[in-house]
Amino acid sequence: MISRGKKRSKEFDLELTAEAVNLIEEIGLKVSGADNRNIYDDGRSQKLSASEISDLTYDSTKASDIVETLITNSNTFHNKTEFSQEKYLKKKEKKYFEYIQILRPNLRIITEILYRLDSSKVQGIRIDTLSQIITLSNISNEGNHLLYDSGSNGLLAAALLSAMGSEAKGKLVHMHPGNMSQKQALLAMNFDSEQFNKCLSVNVYSALRQVYQGCDTHTQKETVLESECNLKRKATDEIEHEIKIPKLDDSQIPIKDHDTDESNVAKKKPKWHFDNIAASEVLKNKVDSLVIASKEDPQNIFLELLPFVKPGRQFVIYYTVAEPLQNLYMILKSTSNVAALRLTCNWMRNYQILPERTHPEVMMNGSSGFLLTGYVLK
Amino acid sequence: MSFRNYKEKIDEGDTVILYLCNNFFAIEVKPEIKNKKGELIENVYQTTFGALKVRNLIGSNYGSKVELSKGWGHILQPTPELWSLTLPHRTQIIYTPDISMILLQLDLVPGCVVVEAGTGSGSLTHALIRRVRPHGHVYTFDFHDHRAKVAQEEFQEHGLADFVTARHRDVLAEGFGDDLKEKADAVFLDLPKPWTGVPHAVAAIKNDGGRFCSFSPCIEQVQRTCLTLEQQGFQDISTMEVLQSEIKVSRKTVPVRDLSFLKHKKGTVQLVQVPRPTQSGPPIDLAADTLTQVSYDATVACDEDRSEANKPIIDRIPRANILNVATRISACMAADDVPKRMDLTPIEAPNTLAL
Ligand SMILES: C[S@@+](CC[C@H](N)C(=O)[O-])C[C@H]1O[C@@H](n2cnc3c(N)ncnc32)[C@H](O)[C@@H]1O
Repeated sequence: MISRGKKRSKEFDLELTAEAVNLIEEIGLKVSGADNRNIYDDGRSQKLSASEISDLTYDSTKASDIVETLITNSNTFHNKTEFSQEKYLKKKEKKYFEYIQILRPNLRIITEILYRLDSSKVQGIRIDTLSQIITLSNISNEGNHLLYDSGSNGLLAAALLSAMGSEAKGKLVHMHPGNMSQKQALLAMNFDSEQFNKCLSVNVYSALRQVYQGCDTHTQKETVLESECNLKRKATDEIEHEIKIPKLDDSQIPIKDHDTDESNVAKKKPKWHFDNIAASEVLKNKVDSLVIASKEDPQNIFLELLPFVKPGRQFVIYYTVAEPLQNLYMILKSTSNVAALRLTCNWMRNYQILPERTHPEVMMNGSSGFLLTGYVLK
Repeated sequence: MSFRNYKEKIDEGDTVILYLCNNFFAIEVKPEIKNKKGELIENVYQTTFGALKVRNLIGSNYGSKVELSKGWGHILQPTPELWSLTLPHRTQIIYTPDISMILLQLDLVPGCVVVEAGTGSGSLTHALIRRVRPHGHVYTFDFHDHRAKVAQEEFQEHGLADFVTARHRDVLAEGFGDDLKEKADAVFLDLPKPWTGVPHAVAAIKNDGGRFCSFSPCIEQVQRTCLTLEQQGFQDISTMEVLQSEIKVSRKTVPVRDLSFLKHKKGTVQLVQVPRPTQSGPPIDLAADTLTQVSYDATVACDEDRSEANKPIIDRIPRANILNVATRISACMAADDVPKRMDLTPIEAPNTLAL
């Protein structure tokens, strides 16, 4: 990264480089102390003032120059042990970094970024738990899958869609309770449009109403739904109500066709209208896995969605705390439509691996929610 | 053939999973098997709940109930997870919590080419196959010729042969072979001395980068591997340990002791009523209420409180239903009880940008 020249400017130009310079190698450590007995943390070890340092950062072209000047003006650096000198340099390298890397997004990176930014925005789903949701739902390139997600910012949809792959044969029905589905992670994955369109994001009320009642009935009074519908949606209600729902299977719902083939009425039909119909077709033919990560109590959601899962298939329910899953566990135990119930939680730890300095890293956020898994019976 | 696609009905030749009383058993659906003398006899699978005539499974649905002579069980279609729990152990194996993390850390999606060594019992291999099929491929190596051969036969029987190639080879000595040069999106090692395999991994990984993961029980192995990875130009090296615990849920009824009535002299208080704690369990378990021992102890209040005289003083000792939760560490530890650690690394060859 090259500073745009102006002092105090936070703007940089980017330039390709074949190799990144390692600060520690560049500077080359000469003298170091045996231990830290002569180091005092009195804030006076650096002779340069804060403003001198900030000038330095804009005048220098290389991070190594900045850091070398800092070291030359430091009283204590040469007394530090080799290890803490290295640590110091690592810290400075981060502060005066000069390289950035552009990586292709993938599930691992997106999961880590979202969790690190604010784990509560992804319902605390940590990478280990997410990885198990994908395997325990036995999701693959094949089959249709059902997801109910009320607040992971699209992380679960991204995870399942990524495991289904770009040439997936089936669909992912992504149910959400709101007006719009959360798509942040889904969009961040840069899926091509073909893969992205495998995901049918539908409002859970609309989709189930479509399944049971056969046509959109937004005009009917329903208090729960009303509160979650925005005006735009309501405006289209009248129109939809009159339209006969064409029998479509999930592969033939391109909006384009309707735009050209049908009159202006069709033009006004939003994408979610078609997604809704497609989703209800998928549900009627039953799905090959069910994943639920809800903020609400999962019990009703699970019991309502269970009939759409084929016998013998897996389900996974995620919840941030154990109690609702314990209750559900006891309820399901007493019924005979699921088997092999397991309630689990995960623990994960990263390690710093360095010669002579290997140790566990500070524990990641202790809890990463709970999973209730099992198989659907006939 | 039951590993290849989602299936509704059981066919002859399928491997099925019998779920019985919290246990899983893998059964090959063959109506007849050979006995010790080499004669074909009826295939009867013995369970703790009696015999299962395997022939009767053919044509029934996955997820359905099967009659045993002294009870019943359920039949499930095998998944890589169920297979890890039921497969015949030829080596130590990797279990689902670690497998899940490995798949995610290796950035595997359908279409990827992944190289694995050693094959061992094929526990991880089945999960790798599911993730990369139908257009991807798993190349798996073991230097034990019998294990390599049995694994290949197993993949064949499971209907997975199109997605996997099992080879007999010492990968540390000979590498992964010229035909895999720059072909792999990811390389995984579960064998002793993984660091010696790192240069071979580099040779196998695609030119535009890929991921490497090794799974080791000892921290010393991890250290040497990390050093080698760094020397070989890997970036973003991380090491982690994953543990899954199962929470056992059961219902227990315990007594609740009331001490609050002691605050008042007997006779001066008209009514001491301890409200029953709100039930913590779901209503279906009301049957458990028969266990609730509520004892009424009525006394008539003294004269001054005539207005309340007929109300009994109630001393209630209700028993609440609480959910008892105990945590058990599941079997995801390595069999030798040493938690295994993995280190993971990409050599993505991204464009590095500089001043
Ligand atoms: C612990 S097992 C692998 C288990 C496997 N990951 C699973 O989940 O079933 C290790 C295997 O590596 C094989 N092995 C060890 N050294 C090897 C080498 N140099 N080349 C190929 N295979 C090797 C052993 O024969 C053994 O089967």
